[in-house]
Amino acid sequence: MADSPAAALPVPIETDALIVGAGPVALFAVFELGLLEVGAQVVDSLPFVGGQCIELYADKPIYDIPALPFATGAELIERLQRQIAPFAAGFHLGQQVNEVALREDGRFDVATDAGQRFVAKAVVIAAGVGSFQPRRLKIEGLDAWRERQLFHRDPGPEATAGRRVVIVGNGEAAVTAALDAVEAGAASVTVVHRRDDFDAPTPLLLRFQSARTNGRIEIVTAQPSGLQSEGEVLKGLVVDGSDDRTRTLALDLLLVLLGWSPKLGPIAQWGLALARKQLIVDTERFETSTRGIHAIGDAVTYPGKQKLIVSGFHEATLAAYAVAERVHPDRAQPLLYTTTSPKLHKLLGVDPANPSPPALP
Amino acid sequence: MTHVVLESCIRCKYTDCVDVCPVDCFREGPNFLTIDPDECIDCAVCIPECPVNAIVPEEDVPGDQQHMTKLNAELAKGWPSITRRKAPLPDAEEWKDRTGKLDQLIR
Repeated sequence: MADSPAAALPVPIETDALIVGAGPVALFAVFELGLLEVGAQVVDSLPFVGGQCIELYADKPIYDIPALPFATGAELIERLQRQIAPFAAGFHLGQQVNEVALREDGRFDVATDAGQRFVAKAVVIAAGVGSFQPRRLKIEGLDAWRERQLFHRDPGPEATAGRRVVIVGNGEAAVTAALDAVEAGAASVTVVHRRDDFDAPTPLLLRFQSARTNGRIEIVTAQPSGLQSEGEVLKGLVVDGSDDRTRTLALDLLLVLLGWSPKLGPIAQWGLALARKQLIVDTERFETSTRGIHAIGDAVTYPGKQKLIVSGFHEATLAAYAVAERVHPDRAQPLLYTTTSPKLHKLLGVDPANPSPPALP
Repeated sequence: MTHVVLESCIRCKYTDCVDVCPVDCFREGPNFLTIDPDECIDCAVCIPECPVNAIVPEEDVPGDQQHMTKLNAELAKGWPSITRRKAPLPDAEEWKDRTGKLDQLIR
């Protein structure tokens, strides 16, 4: 077996529940599963927790969470992370679940594109609108330079030092990458966006502005339209300027930092029943057409489904009870209240004589 | 899946939709807006914004508008992104209730 390719892969993590997605509904599922003594591992394609709430709505207000009259997307996620902290779920971020397969023992083999493997007693898909992938420039042939001269992330100071760096984007990622490249000693830093309008926290924008004034960062208001290459080497990005002029920006490195866009991804290939590209579930157990694979949140459809976070919380709760039945088949699941149950207090690590929020680990 | 802008938008272009789109999937032509099907996440928040009800989910595109799904995808490839609302076309009021406007589309 020593020469089998599988031997080189990391040992699979055994878990009760594997949750696909780390958005608000997935995080609340960690909580409900935790109260039922079901451990969880969480995988998300984004490099951070929070899903759409962070990627699309971090600073935008949410008014329809019960007992929370107002929260931004970022605040909601921060509160959920605090709430689930007692259960110490494992998080595997920046990777996508590619395969889910039923094993002979009734558990599931799960594998990510980063090579992480899991053996899970149940799977909970809380994948929202899909797996967030970096937005690409729609320029034919550009992908050939991916991870060589084209990056959809900041490749770090060693890569940018001494190089001519062209960055496409206007958000925090683009602004940060530009400042980092200046700091790393890039030969030149050029930021391309269709408008001279950048969106990042004020301290970053102030530093950005001062680097522009000092001539360390050049802004080109234009839309990328083509590329220039010589053999194996990407030489320049062709852009159509807001002044209707076409020019070529010479470069060594091209960073396309345009945010993330969700794609349905591999879920469609797992043999689960779909309707309108959403997973069909029942409304008692939130189980898909495969027993042991549950689905909740924006990824699912059922009669009356509304894509609301509050509905997702309910779905997570009922799915957790169904998963607990599978994970602890010989145990009755009496309804317990966090207010009064000594067992739940122990799980949460709280002292009812001295009520307080659970301590952060 | 995606959402689709129907013919009703032609010569009106109210642009209320673009302000609410969380993924900036609208593309702007001279007298029509289109949705890039590669970007749209079917969140549906644009639907009620359109004063002429020009946006529908792909499955709900009416029989006589079936060609618009393909047309949205095709036009989205060449048109620039629009992310902020602007004034509608000057004669939008006059055109908003008309049907059969496809021959008015400027590419």
